[in-house]
Amino acid sequence: MKPAPFSYVRPTRLDDVVGELEEAESAGSGKVIAGGQSLLPVLAMRLGRPRTLVDITRVPELAGLREEGGSIRIGAAVRQRQVEREAAQRIPLVGHALPWIGHREIRSRGTVCGSLAHADPSAELPAVALCLGAVLTVTGSRGSREVPAADFFTGAMSTVLGGTELVTAVRFPAPRAGEGFGFGEMARRHGDFALAGAAARVRLDGGGVVEAQLVGFGVADRARSQDFTGPLAEAVSRHGQDEKALTAVMTEAVSEMAEDVVTAGDAHASQDYRRRLIRVLGTRALVRACADSRRRAKR
Amino acid sequence: MSRSATLRRTLKNPLKGLRNGRGSAGEETLRVEAEETVRVSFTVNGRPAEVDVAPRVTLSDALRDHLSLTGTHIGCEHGVCGMCTVIVDGDAARACLLLACQLEGAEIMTVEGLGTPDDLHPLQDSFSRHHALQCGFCTPGMLMSAYELLDHEPGVPKEELPEKMSGVLCRCTGYRHIMDAVSDVAEQHPEGAPAPRNCGTAQLLPRTTAGGPGSTAEEDLQHRAPAEITLPSSEPTVTVGVEEHIRATPEEIWEVLQDTDRVARCLPGAELIEDFGEDRYLGRIRVALGPVKLSFIGDIHVTERSEENRSIRALAQAEDAAGGSVQAGVALSAQPHEGGSLLSADADLFMVGKIAQMGRSLAGDVSADMFAQFTRALDATARGEEPTDTQAPSSVAMFTRLMSTRAKALVGRLRRR
Repeated sequence: MKPAPFSYVRPTRLDDVVGELEEAESAGSGKVIAGGQSLLPVLAMRLGRPRTLVDITRVPELAGLREEGGSIRIGAAVRQRQVEREAAQRIPLVGHALPWIGHREIRSRGTVCGSLAHADPSAELPAVALCLGAVLTVTGSRGSREVPAADFFTGAMSTVLGGTELVTAVRFPAPRAGEGFGFGEMARRHGDFALAGAAARVRLDGGGVVEAQLVGFGVADRARSQDFTGPLAEAVSRHGQDEKALTAVMTEAVSEMAEDVVTAGDAHASQDYRRRLIRVLGTRALVRACADSRRRAKR
Repeated sequence: MSRSATLRRTLKNPLKGLRNGRGSAGEETLRVEAEETVRVSFTVNGRPAEVDVAPRVTLSDALRDHLSLTGTHIGCEHGVCGMCTVIVDGDAARACLLLACQLEGAEIMTVEGLGTPDDLHPLQDSFSRHHALQCGFCTPGMLMSAYELLDHEPGVPKEELPEKMSGVLCRCTGYRHIMDAVSDVAEQHPEGAPAPRNCGTAQLLPRTTAGGPGSTAEEDLQHRAPAEITLPSSEPTVTVGVEEHIRATPEEIWEVLQDTDRVARCLPGAELIEDFGEDRYLGRIRVALGPVKLSFIGDIHVTERSEENRSIRALAQAEDAAGGSVQAGVALSAQPHEGGSLLSADADLFMVGKIAQMGRSLAGDVSADMFAQFTRALDATARGEEPTDTQAPSSVAMFTRLMSTRAKALVGRLRRR
């Protein structure tokens, strides 16, 4: 389990990173490394053999974690555990999801942007980015562009990133008034990739639901987002805060989303079980998000 | 042979330094080709350390193969099992998922820093009391994960331990005893993890050749420059101290000590292969213990000769293709004693690889026996006799002798297993 040989480049300026990626691409293949917590296993199993790794962790402009225009901006070199410590309260859905990522030994080194760029279909952060409408900054030789999470992921471990581009930052919007969040997943053991999981964001206004977004992950080639504003608004207007009744009604609504789950099933979980997980976890996430919204309003 | 890495200066914006970065200067791009090595400096258990590694070398391999810190175990090598858990800049991390070349300036702590056999860390002591290990393979990982957990979350409730400790797998204990051991320390130390017991003396950890680039083929070794030898600052695997009253006078002993070739011939199974000059040599020593046959080849450097004290000091570093490597610091001296001499030989031996697994006491006995033979042979040589029992590598005879003296203890040890 030793990686195949590769050369290593560690620039200290963003321009140089892009230059190095271009050089690496023309010489064969290059890959960005930050925390390496997803990349190193791929290299160790020799599923990937890039000729050059470009280390971005010593580029000062990628190290920032700060508020910026109602969002939290996380630079590409910022580790998950730093976000867990410093920003979990300010972006609560990210805060809910982070402890589910691997173990803290992984989060000590793994980066938020790295997880997004890796785009594992079972990963938590792409689902959260989708649910919150996060915006990624993608930088290449032709400059930077802003890509909404909804447009970023194109399939299993596939994104719109070109071979010489990198994610330099991601902006997660801070909670707006009336917003609440729910998150849950099921894995064989804590820290394993999710068999299925769900992230929800709802916005209440005067007790009524004005926005409800549910994202399921781990069940298809990428996280799937669906709007549940209509069904949840109706359920809440009819049942108010009665969680039992809400759960019953929403289970039915989420079932339709679960039926769309395209997964073959595997040794760990059958197709039916995964659909059931989406139904149960998705409903719970939505109901919890409602309660979370009310809790926040009280503060 | 590896070439050293080149630093290519990028002259644009030279003043723009690193805010969070450390180590290499802000304006330079570090570039290491796949077949090159790069020197990485970091701190291990409070001591500065340097390794010369190729880009693909992981921290776990750097610790084990380059710094001889084999307490960090390697299991799956792709980040699943947690055996290699160490602490990097205060946070637990999997050493197999880190490239050593990324860690310039990092502060690393391994299980060696936690405690020593004579001064166990409270966690290690608790693991022992609670029977929290069976085969012991996961123990370093468990200890480091637990240490970091208690460091960051003092008084972590017992119910949370199964989840908080889930980053390291154990296949023997069923985890219960491990949770008990950690919980015990958490309760007894509500202020957090007690400080590590073996961190912080400012001594450079050596770079060893073991596992690194290079060849141990005799011809290659003969035609290269002699290696610089520095001993690890960790506890020696074995310490040997032999004192023997011999008939030869200190003057006679001193005469033999001047001739390194004659000294080598006194050591059972040893021979000098090359004299590099400046008191540096290439040598070989064969050790045979029953079916175990090892042939260590490597460098010897006589670092000190004192005619006044009739003493010499030497460093040695040698490898066997299968058995692993040995580093040694040896001091020999002859003092006048009842018409003859009191010959003392002291050695610190650092062993890595399979030989280290023979166990401290057996390795110690073998080494002590070899030194005892050496002093007798030295005595004979100094008095003009040919040493008799040293030409054959320490062989079946030695094994038998060893076994007869050790038989009782060995039987006792085997029974306890």
